[in-house]
Amino acid sequence: MDTIHNRQEASSWQKRHNTLAPKVGDLAPDFTLSDIRGENPIRLSDFQGKKPVALIFGSFT
Amino acid sequence: MSLHNLYQEFSSQIQFIKVYIREAHPVDGWWFGKGIMSTLLNLSRSKASRNLYDPKTLEERRGAAGDCEESLQFGIKTYVDEMDDLVNKAYAAWPTRLYLINIEGTVIYAGGLGPFGFKPGVLKQAIEKHITEEKIP
Repeated sequence: MDTIHNRQEASSWQKRHNTLAPKVGDLAPDFTLSDIRGENPIRLSDFQGKKPVALIFGSFT
Repeated sequence: MSLHNLYQEFSSQIQFIKVYIREAHPVDGWWFGKGIMSTLLNLSRSKASRNLYDPKTLEERRGAAGDCEESLQFGIKTYVDEMDDLVNKAYAAWPTRLYLINIEGTVIYAGGLGPFGFKPGVLKQAIEKHITEEKIP
């Protein structure tokens, strides 16, 4: 994904990926990510059987 | 309903994970630092940055994510998507999006695409319904 420059590019990206995004009833795609220091990796599937997870996606702008 | 309030109310029952993804409106992209969008952001007292360039390296991205975490202060720990944007793409998350996942790993709430589909109040309703139905203490 490159930097998006306008509404048309945003709409195109969203249409392309939204069809593949998980819907209610789908298994959530697993991932492993690290924190802002590149430390303390967390894996989504580690919470299975333990705790529900709220995922909040966003940026600073 | 703010994300901060949501976290304060349900963090003992729900694991909150903030995933920092590619910038939505950086200076070198679809910038909202001028014109009507800038005015609207001023009126809404948005804490969103308007002088940030899209990070080009993972180190830059981590730095921006840290600035974001410090500025917005949701209380929710931030994890950083890598430069291949794989997690962002898997969830069609750009620019903002909310999901709720049960302990089986199944999606039980999938918010709409941001900004108009980004509704913490609706996520709250989904959380309340889930913890009631599943009797989560």
